[in-house]
Amino acid sequence: MTSSRESRWRPSRRQILMTGPALALAPLPAFAQVTTTARPQPDAAEADRIAAEFAAGALPLPEGLVLDLPVLGDNPGAVPVRVYLDRPVTPDYWCAEMIVIAELNPRPLACRLRFTQDTGSADLAVRLRLIRSMHVRALARMNDGRVLTVRRPITVTAGGCGM
Amino acid sequence: MTTRPPRIWISNATPAVGEIVRLRTQIAHPMESGFRIDAAGRPIPRHIVTRFEARLDDRLLLEWEPQSAISQNPYLEFTFAARQPGTLRMTWIDDLGETITAEKDITLA
Repeated sequence: MTSSRESRWRPSRRQILMTGPALALAPLPAFAQVTTTARPQPDAAEADRIAAEFAAGALPLPEGLVLDLPVLGDNPGAVPVRVYLDRPVTPDYWCAEMIVIAELNPRPLACRLRFTQDTGSADLAVRLRLIRSMHVRALARMNDGRVLTVRRPITVTAGGCGM
Repeated sequence: MTTRPPRIWISNATPAVGEIVRLRTQIAHPMESGFRIDAAGRPIPRHIVTRFEARLDDRLLLEWEPQSAISQNPYLEFTFAARQPGTLRMTWIDDLGETITAEKDITLA
């Protein structure tokens, strides 16, 4: 009686004991092995070059443009950024083109935006991925050729999620 | 690419003439940066949205050119002045040529 009962549950006990080594040999999830060639820029030189190309000879004025950033980017894979003009657009005062630069990212130019006179507004919000703490810069070219700029620092917790 | 439709929020689909209308949009897209290397050591090819445009009927309101610094599942918020009724058409295009579209009807109050 006793021996037959033991023989019934012994195989399952062996199975339980075998699951330990089996789990230890299971491969790590694939994402743990993905690495990246992304490296931060050593300085703002590339950002300066992009800004100069955008300004095309005009002297960027540090006025008229607002850049909203969080104090701390707790998720560097999605840092909310908003850029807008500090006064309303009119038929005589409108923004033609805007760029956002993440100065120390591998590719600092984050995005470009073109408006028309029909837009009647110039207000942009996006989410950036940032490889490290850095300055974010925005430039806007107005309909009369003036270029406005704004630049602000941001601290992020850890680098370059998903980059 | 994806079967999930874009998420679109509009501040007011029946604005007064000249009212500033705010749009919040988000699509599902991997925005693969092109910098990453897979487990076998091969580079993962870049796959990002490279272009977005918004038109009210035929009037171009906005063109947006995101780069690799824009997050996965790209979020874009923008505004425009409602000067005429029409259909707001939004188009996202990625570097494989795939497109995602969304529409919102705008009627003036």
